[in-house]
Amino acid sequence: MDSVIKIRDLHFSYGGPKILENIEIDIQRNEFIGMVGPNGSGKTTLLKIIMGVLTPDSGTVEVLGKPPFQSVKEIGYMPQLTPFSRDFPISVEDTVLMGRLGKTSSIGFFNKADKHAAEKAMNDVGIFDLRKRVIGSLSGGQLQRVLIARALTCEPEIMILDEPTANVDMKVEKDIFDMLKQLNEKITIIVVTHDIGFISQYIHRVACINRTLICHPTSELTGETIENMYGSHVHMVHHHHEDENRI
Amino acid sequence: MSSFFDAVSSQAFMQNAIIGGILASVACGVVGSYVVVKRIGYLAGGIAHAVLGGMGIAYYLGRPPIEGALVAALVFAVILGWVSLRMQQQEDTVIGALWSGGMAVGILFISQTPGYNVDLMSFLFGNILMISSDDLFWIASLDVLILLIVFLFYKQFLAVSFDEEFARLRGIPVERFYLLFLTLVALTVVILIQIVGLILVIALLTLPAAVSSQYVRSLNLMMLLATILGVFFTTGGLAISYQPDLPPGPTIILVAGTFYLLSLILNRFWKRA
Repeated sequence: MDSVIKIRDLHFSYGGPKILENIEIDIQRNEFIGMVGPNGSGKTTLLKIIMGVLTPDSGTVEVLGKPPFQSVKEIGYMPQLTPFSRDFPISVEDTVLMGRLGKTSSIGFFNKADKHAAEKAMNDVGIFDLRKRVIGSLSGGQLQRVLIARALTCEPEIMILDEPTANVDMKVEKDIFDMLKQLNEKITIIVVTHDIGFISQYIHRVACINRTLICHPTSELTGETIENMYGSHVHMVHHHHEDENRI
Repeated sequence: MSSFFDAVSSQAFMQNAIIGGILASVACGVVGSYVVVKRIGYLAGGIAHAVLGGMGIAYYLGRPPIEGALVAALVFAVILGWVSLRMQQQEDTVIGALWSGGMAVGILFISQTPGYNVDLMSFLFGNILMISSDDLFWIASLDVLILLIVFLFYKQFLAVSFDEEFARLRGIPVERFYLLFLTLVALTVVILIQIVGLILVIALLTLPAAVSSQYVRSLNLMMLLATILGVFFTTGGLAISYQPDLPPGPTIILVAGTFYLLSLILNRFWKRA
């Protein structure tokens, strides 16, 4: 099989205690990976290493057969929190176009090919009708879609989404994952989430991170494996969900 | 008011003042929009005030103060940019220190300059009525330079001011563009010192863009509207100050400030209604 991300014997620390230890994983083309783990377990750190923002203390990382900083332009990234201000004067279309950076000429304005790619991405996630709207006027679910479209416009081989459904209700969450499932036919997807029960119907494998990494095929995912990961937290997560379902 | 129009049609200095206001508004509208959306008004204020150090030294050495201003603005832009990138914890303290330190150096050098002591006020508050044709020429040149850089790197500036982290992941050298952007702020500050003096620069840099941001949906339009408002504020301030012989710089700033506050209040009611 054709592996797009290959990590061997990776260790990382921010100068203090180890954040990641002895990480090994092969992610195959067109896989849909769910990445879970408690807060502070090193999920975001591992993603940053895959995207070449952080350099590991030791070990090797290959993304699309190259070192991460060379392949980062082939990765579509959707951040966990929106780091920009919602009152920035910018339309949906212009936000989505920003995903073309690194793929388009470095001088001047965006060209026809860029606009075309943005149009396609907006169609793929169902926000084409919103393209002239200013981002401040969007709902949480619409904004998440805009960010997914932005990640898509670079026509990526890999998409990394850091808690794409953290601030949306259950219906929007389902819509977004149905959409990702479709995109997965062409793109390898890694999605960070806390909602293991819900995503297990969408993903192929779960990467459980808590300083170390253990991968489970979805079929092997039992309450016990989840409990080992989260410890006692898992009960809180469960109760929380039942409440939501009742509403 | 009619005497103002008479003066504009007959007096070269009034024509220069009007043209100077228009040229300055271009830099103001474009660079000021970035300053407002990126929320670095305090940093821009630091550059503007620290420039007095350069003007004072140039004056002491018998050079035109504006040369000192240009050098000091660029040097402080790079230093302050570096500080804000590397020392985020103490950023505001360091900016404050350089802000007043630069001014202190300027005042010391001016006080030690032998001979007729220049009016400190003209550095601090500028004088749009003293703008010469030579001044207009280099203000226009700086405008062209600023516009050229902004056109060439429009995408990168937009990305860096909107979402720095994402820009970095798309392979943009974010820090380099941030420093380049601060040098544009420095050039704009030097232009504006001619119009309203260095104390009032920050108002003219941010107010037109701040008013504009309340009404537009894109950064391009924000720049365009801010430029138009800048022309309106400078020309309006000049016209109001002419008859009662008020200093034009502060009048321009008060026109801009009043307009900003009214617009803010109007917007609040609008949105509530």
